[in-house]
Amino acid sequence: MKMLSLAATLAVLATPLAAADATLDLVAPIAEYKLYVSENTEALVTDTQAFVAAVKAGEIDKAKALFAPTRLSYEKIEPVAELFADLDAPIDARADDYEKAEADPAFTGFHRLEYALWVEGKTDHVTAVADKLEADVTELAKRIDGLTFPPAVVVGGASVLMDEVAATKISGEEDRYSRTDLWDFQGNFDGAKKIVDLFGPMVEDRDFVASVEGNFAKVYETLDKYREGEGFVSYEKLTDEDRKRLSALVNTLAEDLSTLRARLGLS
Amino acid sequence: MSPSPSRRAVLGGLGLGLAACPFSLGLARAETAPQAPALTAAPQAGASSASDRIAPQGRFQAGIVTPRPAWGLVAAFDVIVDTPADLERLFRRLTDRIAFLTSGGTVPELDPALPPADSGILGPELRPDALTVTLALGASLFDAHPWLGPLRPAQLTRMTGFPNDALNPDLCHGDLAIQICANTQETIIHALRDLIKNLPDQLVLRWKQEGNVPVIAPQAPGVVESARNFLGFRDGSANPDSADAALMERVLWVHDAAEPAWAKDGSYMAVRLIRNFVERWDRTPLAEQERIFGRTRITGAPLDKRDGTEADVPDYAADPEGAATPLDSHIRLANPRDAGERHLMLRRPFNYSNGVTKSGQLDQGLLFIAWQASLTDGFLAAQTRLNGEPLEEYIKPVGGGYFFALPGFGPGPDDYLGRQLIDAIGHAPQKT
Ligand code: HEM
Ligand SMILES: [Cu+2]
Repeated sequence: MKMLSLAATLAVLATPLAAADATLDLVAPIAEYKLYVSENTEALVTDTQAFVAAVKAGEIDKAKALFAPTRLSYEKIEPVAELFADLDAPIDARADDYEKAEADPAFTGFHRLEYALWVEGKTDHVTAVADKLEADVTELAKRIDGLTFPPAVVVGGASVLMDEVAATKISGEEDRYSRTDLWDFQGNFDGAKKIVDLFGPMVEDRDFVASVEGNFAKVYETLDKYREGEGFVSYEKLTDEDRKRLSALVNTLAEDLSTLRARLGLS
Repeated sequence: MSPSPSRRAVLGGLGLGLAACPFSLGLARAETAPQAPALTAAPQAGASSASDRIAPQGRFQAGIVTPRPAWGLVAAFDVIVDTPADLERLFRRLTDRIAFLTSGGTVPELDPALPPADSGILGPELRPDALTVTLALGASLFDAHPWLGPLRPAQLTRMTGFPNDALNPDLCHGDLAIQICANTQETIIHALRDLIKNLPDQLVLRWKQEGNVPVIAPQAPGVVESARNFLGFRDGSANPDSADAALMERVLWVHDAAEPAWAKDGSYMAVRLIRNFVERWDRTPLAEQERIFGRTRITGAPLDKRDGTEADVPDYAADPEGAATPLDSHIRLANPRDAGERHLMLRRPFNYSNGVTKSGQLDQGLLFIAWQASLTDGFLAAQTRLNGEPLEEYIKPVGGGYFFALPGFGPGPDDYLGRQLIDAIGHAPQKT
């Protein structure tokens, strides 16, 4: 399919992309995006409660099974969740965000529990972490509920998600103990795709939209090869070839989507 | 001696206005210097300028016999191509960027609501700054596609470890190596970021190493010395004369009947990331250091002509026991000077300095880059002879790969790097 290269579009882009004052009506898609986010935060809260309950009950297998599906809703709305850095870090940070890695007392949240479940094989020592995760997620939902969604942040979220995958997920660093990274990919792609679905119709350059949609289709085509049951096989099953392809697609989407705000007259 | 060795010929042509003295490597000794290793001469302060321009077009790619500027990098990529048309598109896009970057010009100004058109690190006006961008293909690219496999250069293989190697898989191989060289670090970084930004759908970065060579104070007219590596020795003294076109034809440029026709005027590129244990080296007696290389540290003179210059040629026949130049010294093993031109290669390395190892030692070394018409007779033969050399105690190859530099491209609007290969795909004999 036709790939839109930035170089090729530069000439076109030199002129303003969207009618300067954006009489574009972004109100409806913003409202719809807000709905999408609240559905996902609700799911996140409910799923986290179940996950935390399993962790605290020492039901290791059950907790392991709930881990990836619970995170899915979080990954879909990551650009919004990340607006609250004081919650995003305790919920989703990784061991290497801390100087003492896994041994660091500040290392909490999903990945600390992932470490307990898959590596330590026990949970009795992390009940406080589990309680805190539930409290943090609940607080996050409350804050998102009261948030007015700035259009530039919402639209910019699409490339933020792709940048995230490109910078720190494609390598399989995110879910390194459980190897459930492909679930997170799915969440991030879904979240970015949602934004494109909602705002794409307002973009004038239809070739651009078609190219972005084509790249999403290729992403899903690749991910589909790794589906199993409700979710995905282990990240380790991802072949080098497919990892490279995903990496190129993600970077291309990140480049292209980095122009989305301008295309909608947002700055 | 020939009055106009490489430096003046090449730089003069570039309008660098180098001093007129034709000699290289020591005035008085010039007549004893059959070679003019100006290719790897230390750059002199004030001699280069941001307006130095090296045309990318030509029978050969730029960046091989082009005098080495102060900065260089090699970045290895995996490429996303499924069809010959994809590969052609990759080559054409790369050629476009290379043509733009090496000539300089105004960076397009975009709507401020957009990400800017480039990284901005060179400001709004790009100047060529002696930039060269050289493309070379890895064996994995040919192996990945049945339509490309039959066209693989005959000696292009995947690098395998030598006895002293500790190869890190994250620093090895690649479908495509891009060598970028320029006067300054910011120019090579700008070019690399430009390529990555403009071709995200076809280039996936595997590894990258940049390096530089020390810029020395301005010398008297005609005085040229090889740049020093991180072991403190002049490196490049015995390089074949890159200004001797006939010699380069034999040593560097592929035209062997055993090679696919498209590969003519290309060259094999051996890249090695070789860590130097510099703390240990600095604790080694000078006399031993010199015996390890076979040259003196200060002048680079061969040990059998200690008072000479780096341009002097050692006489091994007169020293069969290795009394002056030990038999296992680096230069004597690398080139015993007993096979004529057969084992020559052109070395054009850079020094790298990366950070600190887990043990608290400096992670420094050599971004070794060697070019040759025959990988077997050049790099592989030399490295095989060097296996077990005393220098190994101080070095550790950790990465790199073998690549094949494409032939050059012409100035015509429809020519591009890699066209010979793309044309050949159309006529490739089908494997039966
Ligand atoms: C960190 C690694 C290395 C260092 C520090 C190093 C350093 C040097 C030095 C100081 C010289 C003498 C000056 C000159 O002629 O350039 C030299 C010569 C040479 N080196 Fe290396 N070198 C290294 C690796 C290699 C490797 C891997 C090869 C090839 C496999 C190689 C091949 C040669 C050759 C062919 C010569 C010229 C010998 C002659 O014709 O007299 N070197 N090297
Ligand atoms: Cu995350």
